[in-house]
Amino acid sequence: MNTVRIWFTKTGEASYISLLDLQRVMGRALKRSGLPVWYTLGFNPHIYMTFTCPLSLGQESLVESVDCKTEEEAPNYSAWQEALNQVMPSGIQVFKVGPVVMKPARIASAEYQVRYEDAAAPAALGAYNALSSAPVIKKTKRGEKTLELKEYIPTVEYAVEGNTTSFTLRLPAGDGLNLNPTLLTGFLAEKFSLAAEGAAILRTRLLTAEGEDFQ
Amino acid sequence: MFDPKLKEALAHVQKPGRYTGGEPGSVYKEKDKVDLRFAFCFPDTYEVGMSFLGEKILYEILNKQENWWCERAFMPWLDMKAEMERLQLPLYTLESKDPLTAFDVVGFTLQYELSYTNILAMLDLAGIPFYSKDRDAHWPLIVAGGPCVCNAEPIADFFDMMMLGEGEVQLPQVCKTVEQAKKEGWDKHRLLRALAQIEGCYVPSFYDVTYQEDGRIQAITPKENAPAVVHKAIIRDMNSQPLPTHFVVPMVGAVHDRASIEVLRGCVRGCRFCQAGFLYRPMRQRQVDLLDKAAQELCCNTGYEEISLTSLSTSDHSQLEQLLDKMDIWTEKEHVSISLPSLRVDNFSESLIQKTTKVRKSGLTFAPEAGTQRLRDVINKNVTWDEIEKTCNIAFNAGYTSVKLYFMMGLPTETLEDIEGIAQTAQKIVELFYQNPHKPKGKSVQVTISVACFVPKPHTPFQFVPQDTKAQLEEKQQHLLHSVHSRKINVNYHDSSTSFLEAVFAKGDRRLAPVILAAYQKGCYFDGWDECFKYDVWMETFREFGLDTAFYANRYIGLNEVTPWSHLDYGVSHDFLVREYKKALAATTTKPCNRACSGCGANKLLGGPCFEYGTDLVH
Repeated sequence: MNTVRIWFTKTGEASYISLLDLQRVMGRALKRSGLPVWYTLGFNPHIYMTFTCPLSLGQESLVESVDCKTEEEAPNYSAWQEALNQVMPSGIQVFKVGPVVMKPARIASAEYQVRYEDAAAPAALGAYNALSSAPVIKKTKRGEKTLELKEYIPTVEYAVEGNTTSFTLRLPAGDGLNLNPTLLTGFLAEKFSLAAEGAAILRTRLLTAEGEDFQ
Repeated sequence: MFDPKLKEALAHVQKPGRYTGGEPGSVYKEKDKVDLRFAFCFPDTYEVGMSFLGEKILYEILNKQENWWCERAFMPWLDMKAEMERLQLPLYTLESKDPLTAFDVVGFTLQYELSYTNILAMLDLAGIPFYSKDRDAHWPLIVAGGPCVCNAEPIADFFDMMMLGEGEVQLPQVCKTVEQAKKEGWDKHRLLRALAQIEGCYVPSFYDVTYQEDGRIQAITPKENAPAVVHKAIIRDMNSQPLPTHFVVPMVGAVHDRASIEVLRGCVRGCRFCQAGFLYRPMRQRQVDLLDKAAQELCCNTGYEEISLTSLSTSDHSQLEQLLDKMDIWTEKEHVSISLPSLRVDNFSESLIQKTTKVRKSGLTFAPEAGTQRLRDVINKNVTWDEIEKTCNIAFNAGYTSVKLYFMMGLPTETLEDIEGIAQTAQKIVELFYQNPHKPKGKSVQVTISVACFVPKPHTPFQFVPQDTKAQLEEKQQHLLHSVHSRKINVNYHDSSTSFLEAVFAKGDRRLAPVILAAYQKGCYFDGWDECFKYDVWMETFREFGLDTAFYANRYIGLNEVTPWSHLDYGVSHDFLVREYKKALAATTTKPCNRACSGCGANKLLGGPCFEYGTDLVH
């Protein structure tokens, strides 16, 4: 039994597919592809799938991946990629299929590109950079807890081009602490009235604790 | 990629995936290269609309034509509607995201009377004038199809044209005519005159309706060379009509999110309350090989793991067992389960259970409709207690522990004894479970009875009868609750006020149009959703217009009265409806069409008898 990692983008229309819906969408796509994927055993067999690092609804990503299994001895990865790209919805593009190099537990952080089309963004970010403390509330399944955002994002290095303000964030991700860029955009909205829905968030990298790209 | 306004709206609403399009199976074309653009509008939410088979059929047929592009629009839920109004974002189709005003034809499907106000809301969101008379050729042609067209007189003034009957052949004819009109620059009047000559096409503005002093209709008079009676369009041979094999597969869960194949159309049973049973006559079934092939292709193209064999009464397909045997060969291998949504109590068999539960077990639901044999005979639901008993025993033997039963209340001639009969039927099923030696060990039984309020509908033998008043229905609901004595029985019943409005619209006439518009403007839409239904606003609006709701819902219609739908013909003769009505009052049943022809008149639509009597059609 081989585990196959399918790498895909999730942009445009597809950024509005929730994780729950994505499981269904991906399951049906795999079924349409006719690829020899492995079904779980038992009374209610379904295609085995594990999503590596779930993404929030409305955010886009260039580095999503899902693992599934196959009984093929030596899967032809480029044939898999081609077959999958024929059955994906708009906004999901499979850019790589390959073996599992790292376990998902090795993911330690993620990088995001955040973009505002809002003339008020530079001032709000400047004001954030001037703060010494930025407490935010993180909601988890076990309740709410207060975090110091400055520990993770001391300052934001932003670039302004015309009406567009953009910057990159690197935040903890994976099985341990997982911080969403919306903690920052939410804080900017609350403290400096910078509309949070104006922020386009794109996940660009997943990294290990050693700073390697997750593979 | 998306318009910034749309992105902003999507950031504020629940389940934004309903408004984005891009689903597998959706069709994209270059808009500059097509000659005709059709917006298929479903006047309810995405989840409801994406469950509708008719849309999938017509979407595939229209898009097969290279130079036409059919796209989809749905009624946005309350939060999205508010966002679109705030941001002045006109109602758009999911594929191109173009506003409805960019289309040549905007077609609504009328599945349910209580979605009428949603049509107005969708026109309003798109900035399209409500009344047909206020739109010239620069506006899209606004058309309607679907079962409610059999008497959509309450909203007829809003539409340019309505289509009676089956759309597979008729709708492409309509589109061809519109394409020609566009190329040759016809004015709207000329286009409507041409459309009125197509089978089943009804142009409401070509008919004058006059009323008597008491509100009943005096006459319906055609003009502009329109036919005096519009006859529905029909597919004479269902085997000539390919099944859709490419569904748009929703990514946000639809209500019915599965593959489905229509195994037959129409119904042989003749239940007297059932409008669909009369509108879609005669019953025509599809060949097993055709169905099996389409089913396999559809599952392959969509990736669905469940396929439903749909129709008004699937177990009446004369070769259902053969079909299931054929499908079993590939469904198990491909991890697909088969579901049969509309089984009948009287021909449910052990082998049917086996064949449909090989992969996954689905729930068991039956519709006895009435609680006593007398009343079942009145409504011609030819089901006996013995059959219910036999069926439940088969189900319990197979390991089922829950049964859901559908009933109606407010049926013609109904008494409180019949209501008690509903509770007694459920009680007897509970007892059957405990008497069954093969019942699943250590498990309890759950019987759910769902009771709807009867709404008399046009083109049925019960079109003549008044609906029970709200007070009568509520009394019966209470009586039912008091007649149930077991905790193994769940009772669900339906709010009588929505059924009342449904009855008013179902039998309404053109005088209702301004009432519906006024109620919409006061905030009535999504009337079919309990949380949005504003009964008091509706009643106040009827009073403002001086119209009596009881005149429409709670009045006997004379057997010779001119009804608002007298000029709309579905193949079933008026004399037959009267005959059936009289038989109902005498509690006399009528045989299913495949056993004996009762002369309803629908055979004329096929140009010969509907069945070869004496062959293997009966089982």
